[in-house]
Amino acid sequence: MSDYNLSLFYLLIYSTTVVILVAGMIILSYLLGGRHREPATGEPYESGILSTGSARLRFSAQFYVIAMFFVIFDLETVFLVSWAISVRETGWGGFAVILVFLAFLLSVLVYEWRIGAFDYAVSGREILKSIRKAKGI
Amino acid sequence: MTLVELHEMIPLLILGGAVVPLLLTVSFYRNLKLTVALTVLIFIAAFTSLFFAPKPVRTDGSLLSMDGYALFYIGLFLAASLVVALLSYGYVRERKDDCQEFYILLILATLGASVLAAANSFIPLFLGLEILSVSLYVLISYLRGFTRCIEAGVKYLILAAASSAFLLFGIALFYAECGTMDFKGISEILQIQGMPTPLLYAAFGLLFVGFGFKLAIVPFHMWTPDVYEGAPSPVTAYIATVSKGAVFSLLVRFFFIMGAHQYKKLLFLFSAIAVASMFTGNLLALRQENVKRVLAYSSIAHLGYLLVAFIAGGDLAVEAAAFYLVSYFITTLAAFGVVAALSGGERDADSIEDYRGLFWQRPWLAAALTAALLSLAGIPLTAGFLAKYYLVAAGMKARLWALVIILIINSAISIYYYLRIVAVMYAEPDAGQNAGRTAFSSSPAAGVALCVMTLLLVWIGVYPQTLITIINAVINYAYPF
Repeated sequence: MSDYNLSLFYLLIYSTTVVILVAGMIILSYLLGGRHREPATGEPYESGILSTGSARLRFSAQFYVIAMFFVIFDLETVFLVSWAISVRETGWGGFAVILVFLAFLLSVLVYEWRIGAFDYAVSGREILKSIRKAKGI
Repeated sequence: MTLVELHEMIPLLILGGAVVPLLLTVSFYRNLKLTVALTVLIFIAAFTSLFFAPKPVRTDGSLLSMDGYALFYIGLFLAASLVVALLSYGYVRERKDDCQEFYILLILATLGASVLAAANSFIPLFLGLEILSVSLYVLISYLRGFTRCIEAGVKYLILAAASSAFLLFGIALFYAECGTMDFKGISEILQIQGMPTPLLYAAFGLLFVGFGFKLAIVPFHMWTPDVYEGAPSPVTAYIATVSKGAVFSLLVRFFFIMGAHQYKKLLFLFSAIAVASMFTGNLLALRQENVKRVLAYSSIAHLGYLLVAFIAGGDLAVEAAAFYLVSYFITTLAAFGVVAALSGGERDADSIEDYRGLFWQRPWLAAALTAALLSLAGIPLTAGFLAKYYLVAAGMKARLWALVIILIINSAISIYYYLRIVAVMYAEPDAGQNAGRTAFSSSPAAGVALCVMTLLLVWIGVYPQTLITIINAVINYAYPF
């Protein structure tokens, strides 16, 4: 058997083993697993206390926005630091490129500020406006 | 980076650079008309700059190669994006206040597609693909008041992210075997090896899974109908044309540089996928009651047809693929343009029943949709017929008899579901049935775009010589890549 076919053969053995293993796990748990259906089977287990409400709460999207800002400006630091340690080697070209990068991020910051992404709390003016809108004044 | 290289990249720089002023404009002065006008201007400026591109310097190892092939496809993507911008003006405005960001995302997605068309290494390939996909995630779920859009966006997000993982794994395997990300470098190593190692076959396979998801070819087509149905109609047109066209142009470039046509195993794999895509797309489209889903399945089948040219290889294949993509772009944009124009504020006009008797109420829209559907079916005197003829010619030249016969059989099957929609449009409208149909929602901009698309469709079908001359003049066959 040539080298080429041998390595294919190993790959074949490996992939068959993977398939057999996964199929075996699924089939065994299907055969051996207990199955019973009683009134409380589907309910979440809360140490014997009946649960109230559903688990599908709606979280405020603000948390998500803050996390996203963190990632954006965190990455900015990463790129700045990696530029800073090679500032002599990259020269003016590197400086120009990092300036472009900063200008992009700055304009994004301006945009975020203008669309009100940084207004974490609901402003009283907005509430009044929506009340007026609802009443049709 | 030299000045010549910067000069070469001007179309990309225009797209990328113009986004920032546009973003700042939007943040201080929100005006939809202004944003759309600027977007159109940016697309036109980038398109014009293509004509001033310098002669490409053939430097091996450069990340992007702005050769004739790339310029042709970038021009095609820019033109298609311009049409999508015009089509979406009335559509998005009606459904959402403050929709200026839609156009910024559209420009960014087009930037990603253009990078893909010029990619000469795995790094711009992945960057371009991600710019395109990330913009598309947002574009698909842009109308977040509609649950359908969110559903489509989430589906696309999960599947596109999974396919990116496959793609990255494939790239990693290429790098592990060859030690370079450059297409030319990899192809040289492949030449020396003679026969790819199993690891490289795995790399090709994984890469193709990634591409297959974006192209929506069988067996990676599951997301297409759902995403097509849920996404806003202009965005659906964008996915069907620019997103797929970009990945296909990249696929052609990659496999031609690799010389992958000498590996019979890969060609066999492609043939199987092409046949499966043609049959699955056409057979599943037969029983659909939703026009957007019909078009989704038909696009799966069309990508299968396109793969026939790809498998054939050679100069004629490059030409046939270019011609086919142009006519497919025009046809698809016209079809989805009509769907967008007919859709009222509440939901899209996507059920076949929405089209009953359309001819008697809106004859021009019905005529445009008829032309588009006939072109998709490949009826003579439309662009679709000549495009299919080209594919058959390319397939015959490479002696792919089985594939060509299957292509013809599938064209015959597809006529049924296209003509079914046409027949419904010309049927007598029932009294009062269309009372629910909302007013003509589209703007003059969309009307002009639709009109131009329909005229082009017929013009290319009757007089294809201009397009063939353009393709031959731009793509340099001696060194296409």
